[in-house]
Amino acid sequence: MQAEVPSPSLGTRIATVAGHPALFSIVLAFALGWAVVSLTGGDAWFAYREMVDGAVTGSGLRNTLGRAVPIIGMALAVSLAFRSGVINLGGEGQMVVGGLAGAVIAIYMPGPGLLVVPVAMLVGAVAGAVWALLPALGQTRLRLPILITSLLLNYLARAVTGYLVRFQLLDDSVTLTSTEQVPPDARMPKLPLFGGVSFSLVLVLILVVVIWVVYGRTVAGYETRMAGLNGRFARYGGIQVERQTVAVMLAAGAIGGAIGTHMIVGDAYRYIDGELVLSGLAWTGLLVALLANNHPLLILAAGLLFSGLQIGGLAMQRNADVSWRLAQVLQALVIVAVASRITFAWFKRRSDRGVSVSDVEGAGVGEV
Amino acid sequence: MTTALEFRGITKRFPGVLANDAIDMKVEAGHIHAVVGENGAGKTTLMSILFGLYPPDSGEILVNGRPVRFSSALDAIRGGLGMVHQSFRLFPTLSVAENVVFREEPTRRGMIDRSAAVERVHGIATRYGLSVDPEESVENLPVGVLQRVEILKALYRDARILILDEPTAVLTPQERDKLFEVIRRLRDTGRTILFITHKLGEVMALSDRVTVLRDGRSVADLVTAETTPSEIAQHMTGRQVDLDRRAPAHQSDGAVLEVEDLTVDGEHGRSAVRGVSFSVRVGEIVGVAGIAGNGQSELIEAVAGLRPVIGGSILLNRATITSADVSTRRLGGMAYIPEDRHRVGSSNQASVSNNLLLGHQRKRGFQRRGWFDVKAVRDHASRLIETYGIRSGPINSPVATLSGGNLQKVVVAREMSHGAPLLIAEQPTRGVDIAAIEFIHDRLITFRDGGGAVLLVSAELSEVLALSSRILVMFAGRIVAELDPARVRETDIGFYMTGAHEQAHAG
Repeated sequence: MQAEVPSPSLGTRIATVAGHPALFSIVLAFALGWAVVSLTGGDAWFAYREMVDGAVTGSGLRNTLGRAVPIIGMALAVSLAFRSGVINLGGEGQMVVGGLAGAVIAIYMPGPGLLVVPVAMLVGAVAGAVWALLPALGQTRLRLPILITSLLLNYLARAVTGYLVRFQLLDDSVTLTSTEQVPPDARMPKLPLFGGVSFSLVLVLILVVVIWVVYGRTVAGYETRMAGLNGRFARYGGIQVERQTVAVMLAAGAIGGAIGTHMIVGDAYRYIDGELVLSGLAWTGLLVALLANNHPLLILAAGLLFSGLQIGGLAMQRNADVSWRLAQVLQALVIVAVASRITFAWFKRRSDRGVSVSDVEGAGVGEV
Repeated sequence: MTTALEFRGITKRFPGVLANDAIDMKVEAGHIHAVVGENGAGKTTLMSILFGLYPPDSGEILVNGRPVRFSSALDAIRGGLGMVHQSFRLFPTLSVAENVVFREEPTRRGMIDRSAAVERVHGIATRYGLSVDPEESVENLPVGVLQRVEILKALYRDARILILDEPTAVLTPQERDKLFEVIRRLRDTGRTILFITHKLGEVMALSDRVTVLRDGRSVADLVTAETTPSEIAQHMTGRQVDLDRRAPAHQSDGAVLEVEDLTVDGEHGRSAVRGVSFSVRVGEIVGVAGIAGNGQSELIEAVAGLRPVIGGSILLNRATITSADVSTRRLGGMAYIPEDRHRVGSSNQASVSNNLLLGHQRKRGFQRRGWFDVKAVRDHASRLIETYGIRSGPINSPVATLSGGNLQKVVVAREMSHGAPLLIAEQPTRGVDIAAIEFIHDRLITFRDGGGAVLLVSAELSEVLALSSRILVMFAGRIVAELDPARVRETDIGFYMTGAHEQAHAG
């Protein structure tokens, strides 16, 4: 009774990849960006070339990889929740709280760097997890939607960390609203690669692989995906969705907190009030997770793309006199295109009652 | 005799499936024409093409001899067609009359003329014997009456050709008989009825002609008076079918499930199950009959652990599970085929293999310390697909691509393959084709004969009668009768289902 559906030919496969909605969205966005630049009298070809150049040559590559670390990390955190059907919009708060907690350890804890840095990352992760636990318990105990509470807690996180930096941890010797500097010993080491990329890149790559394997090979990966696809089915099958929501939020918060700490011990070396919020990293991560449809390997690719866009955008502004905001426009266009793909697929489903490949591959990483 | 509706060589191909393969069909004016076929035979596709939901790849449709191609359902309605869907499309908070006249309201000076609307609807209703109060709010009406409202909608728009899609699935025997009267009266006033069903009894009782679809082709066009149910069934399945499956019951004393004085709340805090007690013993099938909405769903959900219990107790193999979580119940020996296989019993984006696994994912043999034995999981899925004859693509293809009957087989296979002593089967054959019904009934009987205990809930009285060792009838949250299937007829059960016995006592 098997194999009534023939396996696709090579041609079909190529067409499927080329017609992949995410790839299609990216191409479409660049085409629209081209039009925007040309219409405003710019040289689009030159601008794009400068953008690519700026993203991958010289120090550009180092910067692209460096910026990809928090983008991919935050994308992994949010995808963990999204894939399980938990709408966690609190990545920013979890990152900020974790970042400050990690910074305090890195700045004030005595001892060798080999001890201080891991402890700082760990404490940052725990702080982020605790912050994420609040909306999780709110939903499972009090039926307050995580969507709302996690988002609002971002503002609370800003306020609390802002207070602590201003009134408890302020470094008087500089004009910034900032903590003291992280001592050189307590900083994340750099890899002798492309002129010094933070060791955190390795940690993020490990995380990508771990999550990928967990999704495809473990009971936890299976149960979270089932809950994300159909909560009623999951409950019927005996999955404890509430307990799982708490676990997923803890994991997402921990990753967010660790990434926040990385931004201090591996990037800025001091906690400047508002810096993590202004960077928009948590939200870029969310866009990357959307583009990659929560697939960890695609998150890696999409994270590098968005990081390259941002870094290359700055170079483009310098050399081609096209505002770096074009990079933001491109990011936004990609997402709009991806989002309308969902509508298109939905529309198509209504008309032919079929399910297209793009609808179902989703985060279905491993077939177990 | 004139032809009201004709399909000529309708062909429709979906990716990987030939849904309609050069279907020819003629419907004579003023006839009741039945269209039968198993699920996946192409009935739904054919009707969707007729109503302009999608164009055919080739072929044409003629209404009263003229070729038509409707571009939408509205277009089809303007062309004189009316469709009564399986699931009703009504505004619950509006009145019957408001629902019926929607988009074609009678107006006076630009305002909706309510009294004219009520009057017209009342007029049509009386003419065809569709007893319904035009001013009643739709949300207060029972299912059988909702269907009449749908029919009224079509008649109000003067549909000359009326299509009824599985209209009796939700009705009690009494309601069904009334519907048949209405349909005959419609025919006698010159309208043409296209009646889609998979119940052979209804074909025989009601139709003048019958077209049988199988695998997207029209395989037979018969005059009802000159054929027999088994001939039709043979055309539907392409082989000999055994229709009457009543089997002697095995009896024993060991109670697998004991429910004592159970009280459960429904959706709006109203008590839905009120002090229900019964037991299901080894080697028996206990059937629960009742009109939808009399507490059966809530009772089953409470037993399955998906709805909190307010009072009373539930014992599974003598262990109390009244407030145990679902996984404890499953480990304790409970399997459950839920009534809603799409929203509760499966995940349409997940693969066949993943759907076959749920509920057993933590069992030893499939995993060790949280890591799947991928080969064991895959072999298990392949084995079930083989033994249960599930027609699917590769095991990692999503179940959304499966037909209703095959999806139900996935659910049945998953629930019955782990040797749980108690099986709750809720509407196990709803909307599936004859071959699948036969197969599922076979499995239930084999399971019972092997010492399993089955709690069966079904809206199909024939199914309850054919399979059960005992029948419990639920009405208004209570068990109002326990009947011996060997000694009762459908109408007797219907009597209790409607609560008529209480009125009889009162009077």
